[in-house]
Amino acid sequence: MNITIVINGDERQLVCAPHETLMSVLRREGFYSVRFGSDTGETGAAAVLMDGRLVSSDVLLAAQADGHQIETVEGMAPPMSLHPIQEAFIATGAIQSGYSTPATILAAKELLGSHPDPSEAQIRDALSGILDRETGYLRPVLAVQRAAAALRGESLSDVEIAIVAPLTFEMDGIADPEQIPAVSPKVVPNPEVPDTKVVGHPEIKVDALKLAKGNPAFVDDIDMRHMLYAKVLYSPHAHARIVSIDDSKARALSGVKAVLHHQNVARVRYASGGQSYPNPLPYDQVSFDNKVRYVGDRVAAVAAETVEIAQEALRLIDVTYEVLPAVFDENEAIAEGAPVIHDEEGMEGAHDAGRNVVHQIHADVGDVESGFAEADEIFEQVFQVHQVQQAPIEPHISIAYWDSDERLVIRTSTQVPFHVRRMVAPLLDLPIKRIRIIKPRIGGGFGVKQEMLIEDIVGHLTIATGRPVRYELTREEEFVSSRTRHPQTITFRTGVNASGYLVAQDMKVVANTGAYGTHGLTVQLVSGLRGLSSYKSPNKRYHCEVVYTNLPVPGAYRGYGAPQALFALEAHMEDIAKALSIESLEFRRMNWTTEGDPLDVAPELGEGESDSGFVPVVTSCGIEECVAQGERSIGWQRRLDPEWQQPADRPHIRRGLGFAMCMHGSAIPGLDMASASIKINDDGSFNLLIGAADLGTGADTILGQIAAEVLGVPLDDILVYAADTDMTPFDTGAYASSTTYISGMAVKRAADAVRSQIVERAALLLDEGTGGIELRDRQAWSTDGRSVGLAEIALSSLHQAQQHQIMGTASYVSPESPPPYAAQFAEVEVDIETGQVTVKALVMAVDCGVAINPVTASGQVEGGMVQALGYGHCEEMAYDDEGRMVNPRFGPYWIYRADEMPRIDTYLVQTMEKSGPFGAKAIAEIPKDGVAPAIRNAIADATGARINAIPFTPERVWQALQTSS
Amino acid sequence: MASIRAYHRPTTLDAALELLAREEVRSVPLAGGTVLNGLPTEIPEEVVDLQALHLSDISRDGAALDVGSMTTLRDFVDHEWTPPALRDLALRQAPNTIRNAATIGGTVATADPESGLLAGFLAYSATVRITRASGSEDVALHDFFDDHNPLDGGLITSIRIPIGGQAVFEATARTPADTPIVLVVGHLSDAGSLRLAATGVASGPVIIDPGLIDDLEPPPDFRGSAAYRRHLAGVLAARVSGRLQQGGAP
Repeated sequence: MNITIVINGDERQLVCAPHETLMSVLRREGFYSVRFGSDTGETGAAAVLMDGRLVSSDVLLAAQADGHQIETVEGMAPPMSLHPIQEAFIATGAIQSGYSTPATILAAKELLGSHPDPSEAQIRDALSGILDRETGYLRPVLAVQRAAAALRGESLSDVEIAIVAPLTFEMDGIADPEQIPAVSPKVVPNPEVPDTKVVGHPEIKVDALKLAKGNPAFVDDIDMRHMLYAKVLYSPHAHARIVSIDDSKARALSGVKAVLHHQNVARVRYASGGQSYPNPLPYDQVSFDNKVRYVGDRVAAVAAETVEIAQEALRLIDVTYEVLPAVFDENEAIAEGAPVIHDEEGMEGAHDAGRNVVHQIHADVGDVESGFAEADEIFEQVFQVHQVQQAPIEPHISIAYWDSDERLVIRTSTQVPFHVRRMVAPLLDLPIKRIRIIKPRIGGGFGVKQEMLIEDIVGHLTIATGRPVRYELTREEEFVSSRTRHPQTITFRTGVNASGYLVAQDMKVVANTGAYGTHGLTVQLVSGLRGLSSYKSPNKRYHCEVVYTNLPVPGAYRGYGAPQALFALEAHMEDIAKALSIESLEFRRMNWTTEGDPLDVAPELGEGESDSGFVPVVTSCGIEECVAQGERSIGWQRRLDPEWQQPADRPHIRRGLGFAMCMHGSAIPGLDMASASIKINDDGSFNLLIGAADLGTGADTILGQIAAEVLGVPLDDILVYAADTDMTPFDTGAYASSTTYISGMAVKRAADAVRSQIVERAALLLDEGTGGIELRDRQAWSTDGRSVGLAEIALSSLHQAQQHQIMGTASYVSPESPPPYAAQFAEVEVDIETGQVTVKALVMAVDCGVAINPVTASGQVEGGMVQALGYGHCEEMAYDDEGRMVNPRFGPYWIYRADEMPRIDTYLVQTMEKSGPFGAKAIAEIPKDGVAPAIRNAIADATGARINAIPFTPERVWQALQTSS
Repeated sequence: MASIRAYHRPTTLDAALELLAREEVRSVPLAGGTVLNGLPTEIPEEVVDLQALHLSDISRDGAALDVGSMTTLRDFVDHEWTPPALRDLALRQAPNTIRNAATIGGTVATADPESGLLAGFLAYSATVRITRASGSEDVALHDFFDDHNPLDGGLITSIRIPIGGQAVFEATARTPADTPIVLVVGHLSDAGSLRLAATGVASGPVIIDPGLIDDLEPPPDFRGSAAYRRHLAGVLAARVSGRLQQGGAP
């Protein structure tokens, strides 16, 4: 049918099918800022303005827009310029992955058109339809406020960092709590941290422009001629054998180009977790199997001319299943007589596949039994943690095609481009050199994209058809058929002496790795490492069984085993403190691991350092200051005020405060490797090529800052490019809190190498020794104050004399993994008649070493805390008796929205970590660790109910209140 | 392949009714589209878009509002005559991206079982105006919900809401903006009669009798067992009644 739509002021005559959504037509017309997040209108990533109002274009037919005015971000500013709203989003650090930023900017445009001076509540309502998994909404709200001021004609100051005076030692900064601004970043300075020009400053993200303008930057934002669309047939049964597959009707359907399944695809065993070579065993997956092990497991894949034809083809594939008994609970799966999930021939590398035990992990420090024998009191508790999904707003998407050299190119939304290239090669029977992986901008990952998940499917289909193939998961498929967080049953047993010091700590875990073992070993190694590192005890033991079940597959999720362990540990420590009548912060302080203490379980539970026996020691620790700042911000003393705890005018409400101590790692020592390459251009700018995968975190930016600092140039002289297996040097990828610490050191070393070449050339041009030459302000300076510009140096070295390309390459692996620390506080209100918990405030003070960029670092904490809030409070994958997820969309699954957020407060407590680049440690994952236990402890403070399972949904809390009162 | 094969945008009510009356094609009325295009229970062959029928006015006639069926939730929220409790329920119904497209008529027709706004309409004793080729009829909303085929070839053209008295609601949910597990809304008429309606206690929004809450048989799901939902209904109904008796205090 023909329709007429005015798009960004231009009237367009368009042809569309009656069923087509406005989103699909706009994208086809090249408006790539309109993005897919769901087809239910629930993410808002596809929101556009229709007649000036924000609407989700994924639930509007294009035909409904006939005769109407549509605005997208493409219409807001011509090339080389920005709209004031876009400028405000960039300046405030409101953009992380930027996937939904165009929709958010349009929301601001609509609001500010009618409300030039909106209240915060009005702003939050305007953003309520756009789900954000990254920022915690704090910076987008600031951005709208700043844009409003700009549009009112007010003059704007630079976005500043609040320097807050430390509380545990003397140093300048804002000391009066009344004067500390409500917004972050708040940085607590440290005298050991030297002054720097670019590092430590809130530089603008290097990718901000393209993201604010909605320019084509993501996997799906390219047009390929003759592209085919893939769909995958997923298992309707939790456990079944495929007796037969008849694909003849599907193949006969016009427009179908390939149908693949276990009968026509080679059976190559692999493990899908994106990890270093050799990938941990077992290799328990194949591209297509003759057995399915969970509802959502792969059965067959189709490539067809359109998505609709592909979908119809799936319906026409006749599959006969022999349904087998299934098991979902990790404890039932290891009981006698449980169905055996991996009974296939050639199954190797599992601990005991016949008992469904994939891995058994054991670690000892000291002798835990003699420790318990010495203990004056022993405490034992069992905790349950559940399954949640990472839920990036951009789901998994890959496009494969043959290039002109007949090499296979896969453009994919991945955290691990180099691992994907190596891992997909044997499945496709291609040498690694015939595969190129391109990682463009990524719309969030959080670990779920640390996986070779769908790249083999598009690869197989492109090989089968010779044509480009695109495969994008639907939202339901992203929930069910990608990856999730491991559920665990955790038992902590702790022996304490009469003075309140730990003498023995024993942690037992039964972990549920679903149908496949990907990441099963390493996530559970981290659970033990994190569960037994926060506190000193001469005797420790970790014992874990990782178990197959017929659930959708857990994998990597930001935090990687630590959120599970620290929920249990911090709940357990809180209850021990209560039982011993020691104030809960004091009890932690008596026992926590601090500077100079050995990380004694690390050699037992590390991936990289296990053979060396090297026991790392904590070299920087700001936990004391973190606790002090957090305590003040949350108003910890209110715990002692009965009038606050039981508000007189709301008799059914109880208020409480809770705390959790957090400690994480910075990369996998001895294993994570990064490299960087830097070269100078004619004008004295630099290309920085890195294999690191920025998922929206700001990695490209902070790596650029590190290079700029060393080379004495502003950040915009560094052109950052990542990641492309043909163009950039190797990097293990974005996981394990490694990018700042490991990739950052690689960049620093590469920049040092370039710097010394520049210095040599400058010495030549200035006619003096290299000894005293300094680089700053785009110049090389001699000791006597003469200088030569970097452009002149570049031109000289490239064109004029003794020509050579000034360039440097470096790699880095770290022998250690210095822990960031954090104090997490939560304030809750509990309705004691209904069990409803309302989280009123979350405060986190983090020691991440030196924050290379305080705004992006703060954004990591804000967004991470909000994801962690979902984990502890409301998100859960719920199943029926047959193992079918009953809530695979955002409504019933529920992630927090802009208009229901608690107060969020973040402090960056600086310490100088000498092993890190410019003093930095990691920050990406630690915000996931403490929220659930802090809420749990706050509920206990408010009501006395001690709840040892998450999430704290109303019925669970109400049940606990019935038994505790 | 199941997908919509034709789109119509009639400009008169008669033309719309004629299109919908065809027996040879399965056609359905299309309002905002947020349910039909997003969460369809069944994909129709043809859709009849009602946007050109001028059904989006809100008018007032004595003590009742006549809300045109194509009024968006957004316009209903923004309208000065909308009673505060219904405004808040419409706000809570959906975020702004949906509110700007979803309509009052579509909300009634698709009958989301967890719609607090529909419970609000029940508490306010709203009626649904159904227009057919043969003429119009007003049906009480609860009768509309009880009827298996309430439209019977007709279209919802407006919702009539008597706006006297006052109303408050109470809800229990996982988070402040989440769809409530149970929501109870109460309306106290100027004459002093109390009417309660709830979601989460039956297969759809229903009028409840505070004395018979123990007889409710709520369908359980992962957010709430039947017993818990009954408990919530009792607690929330008591709170709503208490607030109304104190003059609607928060």
